[in-house]
Amino acid sequence: MKPSKRPRVTALSIGAAMLALAACGGGGSGEKKTELKLYNDKGGWTQYFDQMGVKSKQEIGLGMKPVGYTDEPSYTAFIKASFRTKVKPDLFTWSTGGRLEEIVRQKQVSDTTALWQEAVKNGDLTQALAKYYTIDGKQYCVPLNTAYWGMFYDKKVFAKHGLEPPKTWNDLMKIAETLKSKGQVPFQHTTPTSLFSFVWFEQLLAGTDPDLYERLGSGKASFTDPGVVKVMEQWKSMIDKGWFSNPGDKADPADHFKTGKAAMVSSGTWFNTSMTQRGLKQGKDYGFFFIPNVDPALPKRSLIFESGPLCSLRKAADSEASAKYLKWWISPGAQEQWANSRGDVSGNPKVKVADPDLDRITKDAAGDQNRLVLRFFEAVPAPVLTAALDGLSGFVVKPDTYMKVLQDIQKANEDYWKNKANGG
Amino acid sequence: MTLTSKSLPGTPAPPARRPGGRGRGRARNRFALFGRFRFGFVSPAVLLVAVLLYLPFVWTAYLSLTRYDGLASPEFTGLDNYARLLDDPALLTSIRNTLLWVLGTTVLPVGLGLLVAVLSYDIKGGTWYRLPFLLPYAMSGAGLGMLWGFILQPEGVANRVLGFLGMPGADMAFLDDGPENTIAMIVVWTWQQLGVNMLLFVVGLQSIPRAPIEAARIDGASGWRLFRHVTWPLMRPLTTVVFGLALVASLKTFDVVWVMTQGGPGRTSETLAVTMYRDVFVADEYGYGSAVAVLLTTVTGLASYLYMRRQIGKEVR
Repeated sequence: MKPSKRPRVTALSIGAAMLALAACGGGGSGEKKTELKLYNDKGGWTQYFDQMGVKSKQEIGLGMKPVGYTDEPSYTAFIKASFRTKVKPDLFTWSTGGRLEEIVRQKQVSDTTALWQEAVKNGDLTQALAKYYTIDGKQYCVPLNTAYWGMFYDKKVFAKHGLEPPKTWNDLMKIAETLKSKGQVPFQHTTPTSLFSFVWFEQLLAGTDPDLYERLGSGKASFTDPGVVKVMEQWKSMIDKGWFSNPGDKADPADHFKTGKAAMVSSGTWFNTSMTQRGLKQGKDYGFFFIPNVDPALPKRSLIFESGPLCSLRKAADSEASAKYLKWWISPGAQEQWANSRGDVSGNPKVKVADPDLDRITKDAAGDQNRLVLRFFEAVPAPVLTAALDGLSGFVVKPDTYMKVLQDIQKANEDYWKNKANGG
Repeated sequence: MTLTSKSLPGTPAPPARRPGGRGRGRARNRFALFGRFRFGFVSPAVLLVAVLLYLPFVWTAYLSLTRYDGLASPEFTGLDNYARLLDDPALLTSIRNTLLWVLGTTVLPVGLGLLVAVLSYDIKGGTWYRLPFLLPYAMSGAGLGMLWGFILQPEGVANRVLGFLGMPGADMAFLDDGPENTIAMIVVWTWQQLGVNMLLFVVGLQSIPRAPIEAARIDGASGWRLFRHVTWPLMRPLTTVVFGLALVASLKTFDVVWVMTQGGPGRTSETLAVTMYRDVFVADEYGYGSAVAVLLTTVTGLASYLYMRRQIGKEVR
């Protein structure tokens, strides 16, 4: 009997489609790589990553190509999707705190405990930094960058009005008053669409009650605590006085600064990179100071700190090469290039900072008078952060809503910790 | 009852004689090869639709019944996400904004498009009058959002122009509060979409038969009466399509809002599509976001079905 053609044609079609799909899968484990792809959410830093790729090729024979994203949700979604597909990044940037814990718990990230132990022993990394990379006693990833938060100020504007960087909170308030009275907007306010609507919240709270700030991050305090409410009222009073630029202004904070729309911008030391890209020089065009505590009675100055991790996956295509790259990344030579090219500080204490102002900042930050406080972005769990960013972005344009904002954040906070307690 | 030879069992039916039957038989033979392989030709397209459309939809519907953060395995939670939808104030804002978009974008771009088409049709140099309305359509949704985001920002171009002209609104923050920000974005959308609607209506005007219009003119109809009782009814099929397209586009509004405000500040300008994206990709609540997606799909499907059924019913009547 002559077999029917229909089943054969159908089988051929399905087979062809499967082959096509398999071809799309690509990749495979066990391959030896000579160039790694570094996926990152810092699309503006591509030139600095490229320079590092050239240097690593020369020094350890491993090149690196950056794949930069500028949209945070797209980046996060891509990385999470890569855990379930064959398209896996060799290296990727992430954030510490709840988000790192989340992917470590899913057994996606490779363990770097041995690397950390060796690096702490030979002085390339510090034990103080290790705690931000430690989950259940083991270390994961290495520091991509380290930054301290403070105030960038316009030196020319300060000089014009005879102002000096403040020593106390009251000094800072007087500077703001003076600038406002001269028609100059003192502080830049982040746009509601940016990820940084939390900046003044964290600064005011950490400078008033750092213990309460840290308890918020661990779910042991409420966002409607009287101490938190007081901070929001203080922030609101500063907005009401007209001390902030209009939050809806979409211009980049660095452009804001350059055009003189605001005399001061609160940011991480990585903001130096944005300033450098716009041709502004530290020491000449702008200066930097750590923001004094709101409460002068606090024993130590609360210093907001962040460190972004560079990670590799447990199932990376060439996990050996990825581990080799991470080890090289934290070495003094690599870090010197990385920090100095961007005009930023380094997590490696051995690094010689080329910029004398930056050197002063690094030494000041390392002093015993500071209490390092983890940035809000990393300090609270991801769902609480999302609610906080939503709420605070609404607050900056409608400051009267502060109580409702705090209640909404607290609801997300309660839901998260209740869910966690139930094993979720 | 009459029995014909065709209906008698066991009686072979005489070969049916069809006009031009010989030629069609040839054509059939010519395409017989395709006939035999027709499943082979159709299957890639069927596979594509199944894999890229139906499978993700079924997966999304399943995820809407789970709690899933994109990392751990989805945990089945039944209708919890749908129950949560009813108790979510942000979703209510999102539904209000979506309704505003539906109302605004079906009335403004379509209505104004029709107005410009009618006014500029059949006049000397009509094309040149229409051109400025059509140019913004060349922009992408993201480009539109970027451009108008800067124009409408505080102390932006819009404020300065209004201030220069001494008009009210010079100090207005267009994008800072809801529902004003949604209304501002609908106006922006109208600026872009008016042109393409106008173009479709011009094509419609060109394609309607001249005879009834001439007859109506001879009978003394002109202006609004001519349009209302003759031109408009003749254009109904096209209007149905244009309005239907605008309806579906408004229900899934995303790009302009995401680029201009990301649904903020404080989630005041979210639409259902933005809420869906935010819940899935920003808040990592894949289950809840999928429930919003199912809701959006259901609303869009239902609205399109009801609208088309009503319109097609009218056509038939």
